[in-house]
Amino acid sequence: MYRQILYVQWCALRLPVVLLGVLAFALPLLTVTYGGGLEGAPPGQVAQWLYAAQQIGQLVPYVAMLAGVLLGIGSWAPDHAGKHVYALSLPVTRARYVWLRFAAGTTLLLVPVTAIGIGALVATVSVRLPSGVHAYPLALTARFLLAAFVCYAIFFTIAISTRRAALAVLGGIGGLLLADAVLWGFGVGATVTPTVFMWLTNWPGPLSILIGRWALFDV
Amino acid sequence: MNNAIETHDLAYRAGKHFEIAGLGLTVREGSMYGFLGPNGSGKTTTIRLLLGMLRPRRGTISMLGRSVPRDMPEILGETGYVPERPHLYPYLTVSEATRLHAAFYRSFDAAYAADLQRRFGLRADHRISHLSKGEVGKLHVLLALAQRPRLLILDEPTDGLDPVVRRDVLAALVDFCSQGTTTVFISSHLVHELERICDWIGILDEGNLVAELPMAEFKNGIKRLRVVRAPAVVTGAPFVVLSREPSDGEQTWVVRGWEPRMAEWLSTANAELREVVDLDLEEGFVELLRVSRVPAA
Repeated sequence: MYRQILYVQWCALRLPVVLLGVLAFALPLLTVTYGGGLEGAPPGQVAQWLYAAQQIGQLVPYVAMLAGVLLGIGSWAPDHAGKHVYALSLPVTRARYVWLRFAAGTTLLLVPVTAIGIGALVATVSVRLPSGVHAYPLALTARFLLAAFVCYAIFFTIAISTRRAALAVLGGIGGLLLADAVLWGFGVGATVTPTVFMWLTNWPGPLSILIGRWALFDV
Repeated sequence: MNNAIETHDLAYRAGKHFEIAGLGLTVREGSMYGFLGPNGSGKTTTIRLLLGMLRPRRGTISMLGRSVPRDMPEILGETGYVPERPHLYPYLTVSEATRLHAAFYRSFDAAYAADLQRRFGLRADHRISHLSKGEVGKLHVLLALAQRPRLLILDEPTDGLDPVVRRDVLAALVDFCSQGTTTVFISSHLVHELERICDWIGILDEGNLVAELPMAEFKNGIKRLRVVRAPAVVTGAPFVVLSREPSDGEQTWVVRGWEPRMAEWLSTANAELREVVDLDLEEGFVELLRVSRVPAA
């Protein structure tokens, strides 16, 4: 069953999965293009290169987020289109079917994760690093995996939920923005949205994995 | 004899204008049960209730001796379902859809599926999104039959198909049923289609079960009578008068449960029976609906 669901999901999502894989593979290699022949380079040049590596590294969480969002929503898209009639007529419990879909989506998520891992390793071995600079291919890959998985789980849950639940989430976000607008209108200094954003993105907030340093090369 | 489907006091409401109230269905094991009703009468909703896709507000459902929704996976493992509208994943090919389906059913007969695929003229490498409506309908029937189910639920399986495809589908269905003791529950608004293949019939109108009886009884028992000097009030008649209309000094009655010996009852009521006309299923169906829609006095 799992194999068939995985195949069905692969057929539906192969284009975004392949594109994400290519993007994830390319990002670490892009870092290297700025760093050729740095061994023995003056400190200013190394610092410039590290800054560039950091700038490129900032794109990595966005790719992780994109992978999670696309696969999370995409896992349910074929069933949504068929109003879930085919899925509901299959002889498995609803919980088992959800797990099958979730597991298949998680497996597909491993494509960009593996791609960034390979890209990071290739980038690491292809450059001779100046002293004091280290490469973190495994840490970057692990972080990418966690970030993509968190986003995948969130959007998978939103996609599977009823229209009412999805509207409640969107309504909540709209409510926050409205509350801020009202507070701003009354000249009150306090704001709600940044507070919630900080709570979500600072440890132990669920999105804290997306924030921080994502560079492949660092001191 | 056991019942393949049994519902008691089933109630469901969808919006403000549609309601199934107190539905009681009994489908005997091994029968071919035609579920007849006009468009919007609640046939598809009833089927979705049976399959556990919708939750009733009240009532109980039992299928193949098990309880819905508690034993749904076991029930669905032995139930083939052909939905009203195709719901297969359109990006899969015929063979991929068959493999996906087979993975979920232990009783799936791959050889029979291949045989049906050949008979239906379906090409294994064709994408579902590129198939015609008739071909998708055939594929749904193929998947349901290849499961070798104990119960087959078909929701308007031939609706919108051309006569050739319709004949293919019905022939495959009859052929399959002749091989075993599968119970078939087939919904349709095409009266003649059910007349040919079903041995039991249930008629649904506006969420209410208007009639449920053996097909033979339904076909033979509904007559149009021309009665002269008809009594003003019909009480104690051994048949059911569905409708009565005056015409040229006599009355035309549509009755149910008619047998020739019942002509005597009319004689004792001082009426004269001029003519007895057999009504076909469609006319009987229309009369039944007409009567069921007359508000109670």
